[in-house]
Amino acid sequence: MQLQRASSTDIGAATPIHGGTEVVPLLRAGLLRTDELVDIRGVVPRGIADGRIGAGAPLAELECDPTIPDALREACRLAASPQLRNMGSLGGNLLQATRCWYWRLGWPCRLHRGADGYGDECFAREGEHREHAIFANGYCASAHPSDVAAALLALDARLRTNRRELPLADLYRLPTEDDRRTTTLEDGEVILEVEVPPCDASVYLKAMERKRWAFPIVGVAAVRRGGETRVALAGVAPVPWLLDGFEAATPLPRNAYKVEVAQALVKRAVAAIRG
Amino acid sequence: MARLIRTEKEVEGRYEEVWLVVEEDSLDQWPAGARDIVGRPATRVDALERATGQAVYTADLALPGMLHTAVLRSPHPRARVTHLDLAPALALAGVHAAIGPDDLEQLTAEPNYQGAPIAAVCADSLAQARAALRAIDCRFDVLEPLLDPDEAVRRGELLGEARVRERGDYERGLAEADVVVEAEYRTQVVLHNSMETHQAVVEWTGDDRVDVHISTQYIWGIRDAVSDGLGLPKDNVRVICHYMGGGFGSKNGPDDYTFIAAELAKRTRRPVKCALTRREENTAAGNRNATIQRLTVGARSDGTITALGGEFVNAVGWSGWSSGTEGPMQMLYACANVKTTTYGAKLNLPPMKAFRAPGFVEGTFGLEALLDELAAKLDVDPLELRRRNYAEHAPEGGDYSAKNLLECYRRAEPHWERRHEVRARSTDTVKRGVGMASQIWYGGGGPPSYAWIRVGSDGRAQVVTAMQDIGTGTKTAMAQIAAEELGVPLEHVTVSLGDSARGPYAAISAGSSTTPSMGPAVRAAAADARRQIEEIAEQRGLAKDAPVHEVVDVLEDAQILGKGARGPNPTGMQVLTFGVQVAEVAVDVETGEVWVERIYAVHDVGRVINPLGASSQIEGGIIQGIGHTLSEERLHDPRTGRLLTTTLDAYRLPTIADVPEIVSELVDEPDPQLTNLGSKGLGEPPIIPTAAAIANAIRDATGADVRQLPITREEMLRALRESRERHAAPARV
Amino acid sequence: MKLNVNDHQYDVHAAVGTTLAEALRDELALTGTKIACAEGHCGACTVLVDGEPVLSCITLVHSVENASVTTIEGLREHRMIDSFVRNDALQCGFCTPGQIVSAVALVETNPAPSTEEIRHAMAGNLCRCGAYPKIEEAVRTWRD
Repeated sequence: MQLQRASSTDIGAATPIHGGTEVVPLLRAGLLRTDELVDIRGVVPRGIADGRIGAGAPLAELECDPTIPDALREACRLAASPQLRNMGSLGGNLLQATRCWYWRLGWPCRLHRGADGYGDECFAREGEHREHAIFANGYCASAHPSDVAAALLALDARLRTNRRELPLADLYRLPTEDDRRTTTLEDGEVILEVEVPPCDASVYLKAMERKRWAFPIVGVAAVRRGGETRVALAGVAPVPWLLDGFEAATPLPRNAYKVEVAQALVKRAVAAIRG
Repeated sequence: MARLIRTEKEVEGRYEEVWLVVEEDSLDQWPAGARDIVGRPATRVDALERATGQAVYTADLALPGMLHTAVLRSPHPRARVTHLDLAPALALAGVHAAIGPDDLEQLTAEPNYQGAPIAAVCADSLAQARAALRAIDCRFDVLEPLLDPDEAVRRGELLGEARVRERGDYERGLAEADVVVEAEYRTQVVLHNSMETHQAVVEWTGDDRVDVHISTQYIWGIRDAVSDGLGLPKDNVRVICHYMGGGFGSKNGPDDYTFIAAELAKRTRRPVKCALTRREENTAAGNRNATIQRLTVGARSDGTITALGGEFVNAVGWSGWSSGTEGPMQMLYACANVKTTTYGAKLNLPPMKAFRAPGFVEGTFGLEALLDELAAKLDVDPLELRRRNYAEHAPEGGDYSAKNLLECYRRAEPHWERRHEVRARSTDTVKRGVGMASQIWYGGGGPPSYAWIRVGSDGRAQVVTAMQDIGTGTKTAMAQIAAEELGVPLEHVTVSLGDSARGPYAAISAGSSTTPSMGPAVRAAAADARRQIEEIAEQRGLAKDAPVHEVVDVLEDAQILGKGARGPNPTGMQVLTFGVQVAEVAVDVETGEVWVERIYAVHDVGRVINPLGASSQIEGGIIQGIGHTLSEERLHDPRTGRLLTTTLDAYRLPTIADVPEIVSELVDEPDPQLTNLGSKGLGEPPIIPTAAAIANAIRDATGADVRQLPITREEMLRALRESRERHAAPARV
Repeated sequence: MKLNVNDHQYDVHAAVGTTLAEALRDELALTGTKIACAEGHCGACTVLVDGEPVLSCITLVHSVENASVTTIEGLREHRMIDSFVRNDALQCGFCTPGQIVSAVALVETNPAPSTEEIRHAMAGNLCRCGAYPKIEEAVRTWRD
């Protein structure tokens, strides 16, 4: 394996690595295979100004930045562990993989690409899924763990990559039989900057199984602009989930409680930002 | 005079009859209360080495030429190896040896639990060993595993016979009851997660001699098991453990990895390290087994318990033992009619190991939650209910050597009284409450254990004994005892431990037995030396209590040597520890979140040697108890039985942010019957009542009966829903 | 490659993919930095990279070539060590070097942290013995 330092954002076919908090464990667990790593820390902006945040900004800086919306700051503060927040970048956080234990332990599931291609079963649906998705879980019940992505989705953030600009919502896609990826990022595409439009009020509430250093059972971001409120959830679907009511929820036998938790937190979040 | 006796020896609640040579313990106990050194707070004598990273753990050893091992463990709970080819591994760079089931008894081609070792390779580096492991061609015929403990009981797949313990007439006791409560409680599999994983470095120092460096709780147990396994004379096995990173009951034996390292070391004539990864640790290094407890209590309307009964199913796994989950029900209360049946279900799951008060942690959760359900039904104050059923004498027979549980109840009272104020702080969504639970456990230790002591002409002493300090602070406590008896400052005593070639036999550090076993031996050795010092003082015309360094300063190279042995336990008496914890919790009734705000703990463990270290032990036990109660669970896939939460993101140990205010105290009353110290062990008692106290506080706060650990949001919301439905249902006419 | 650890410059020979923790322990024999999970979950391997606490078990050693690494061996004179000893803020001691590194990083930027700040900053360092109450006290009173 090789590790090069990127001299530009044109990184070719190499696997980009920034903080390494996701790439290194996945490499060591054999879930990610590559011959070529490229360290992109030198070419990804990390400044924070006027609603534009460099994708290289570590979460630890964002969690104490008074200029960013409350929801984003709180999502950063409650994410991962202090060391991981020091290491992990905003852009990397958006691209983290699910914490589904089946996937993380290398079970040949629908998201798992082995030597013979992808698997054809969601083990969680028939197995242990208490922490898994309650929305859009028919094909794959994995839950997206990013607190930050939910906050940015609620904030209606936009991304600038080395190739395009896009709404954050368009970064994510639900995996399908034909395409198992959960993001639309192309090979060689690098997130450079996140643009966060101003809002009147925002909040992030997180339910987790210990007080700190846990991935969300349910994370709820709510943002108000004028009379309009936008709510997005972490930990409830294979991608960050823009909430459009709970009618669409399809809980599995052992995770219906997550609907209850989400409903309670949404109620509180919306109340908290009421004008 | 040395005396040969036949006696019962207890470890982790299990008894066996053994022959022992004991020496009379002729020393009188010190009067109760703090002495000059014993009973006063002392910082750890080895804290600086540990804090600065200079302490060398087994994990830090790098012997010259040492090879590293990777072990192929079964990914399947039940399978048969149909094909195994080690040749591709042996062909890789850096690989020195590879072994399979034909080469070593501990390796198997018929794994019956996930993690069973099949093959192992050693190489110059760990990365090379792991690469070689991946190159091994191993194919399996995967078989249907047995995972359901009740099904195992039905099929008679048991480890040992079902254990039936009965006194009085249980049926008659039930008939005499005005109120009967029945409930089923379940506890989960919990993983020890010692920060230093299980590991050993084995080096052959001759054709029939080995050095075993190992992270262990029992140097002498390792010596005996390795000598048995390798067919060597006992003292040809030297076992070394100066520092170890936690055990909690899981590091009492050599396990598979020590024998794997020994075999590979023999073949390569190199020192070989075999260290488990965190995932291996959480698969194959032991666990606290799950339990199912179907319990019944009957009582008269005044709260007198007339019958206690239970069916206990220990989901032991493929091997191990069926721990005393019924123990609290048998031992805690003065009930004449008790009947329990305990099954050890043999399953295709990784074997259990002792984990800090095995059985009693689980059984106390069931029993003490049941008692509060009874209290609610009788409308009797839970503390009052416990006092009404207090056992003056051991219900199973015999007298207690000492028992201060009533004193614990008395001291707990002001904390229990806080419940009115705590409940008053509830809001519409956050309900607060207070719960309590009692604790009973062993902890008396026993013989044999020995210590030597030597005092030099500088007046400094070294205690020599081949025990281990697993992080409990034993080394410090022994230094305090020796310094106290000798009459020298604490900093003039060092303790040499951790090496079977350098010191006499010392007890296992398990079963809350280290201090009560070792402490009296160290005091006896110090007293032996002290007697000689006083004789010298007399001959030198010095006062009997002259400073030691002044008495011995003419000795030059001569040394004063003392030796001491642990005396016998009192015959016909039950040596037990007791305690009470009171928990204050908050429950978010909309999200199911539970957090603990305060725990008060009072325990009765005899004389306290080091109040500072003791408070750390209590806090540690409570914090592990909180993890057990709220967040930790080893899950397996229900279809295949393969484990899912073996990493520390998914298996949730408490963090510093999860810790409540902890207020602790100790009764600190020496047990007058027990040894020259009157001290019992404190390692296990503090973890025992925590889960029940929290569950009872949740009931106090919300009216919901949580009956399953861990109390996740899922379980909490289920219990709240059930409680709402119960209250909404029309009263039966 | 060159590695700057505790203000010493070392030559390290390691394949790409080697972690900082492995390099420190295996190449430089700086075994104060412990590895307990090797996948970034427990904090035992915490070291400072340019003053920030990071997890050396998931940091590629080649990615810190131009950085300044501080391990527990470089903090032996720090008053935090004495505070941990004094407050009995350790039991088995295996997580302790990592705890102290995180604690030092906290008080270097915030010399008088509140209880909440301590709990927030130390939550990535797991201690199975449960020394947390004493750790909190040690960090709170480190200058006493």
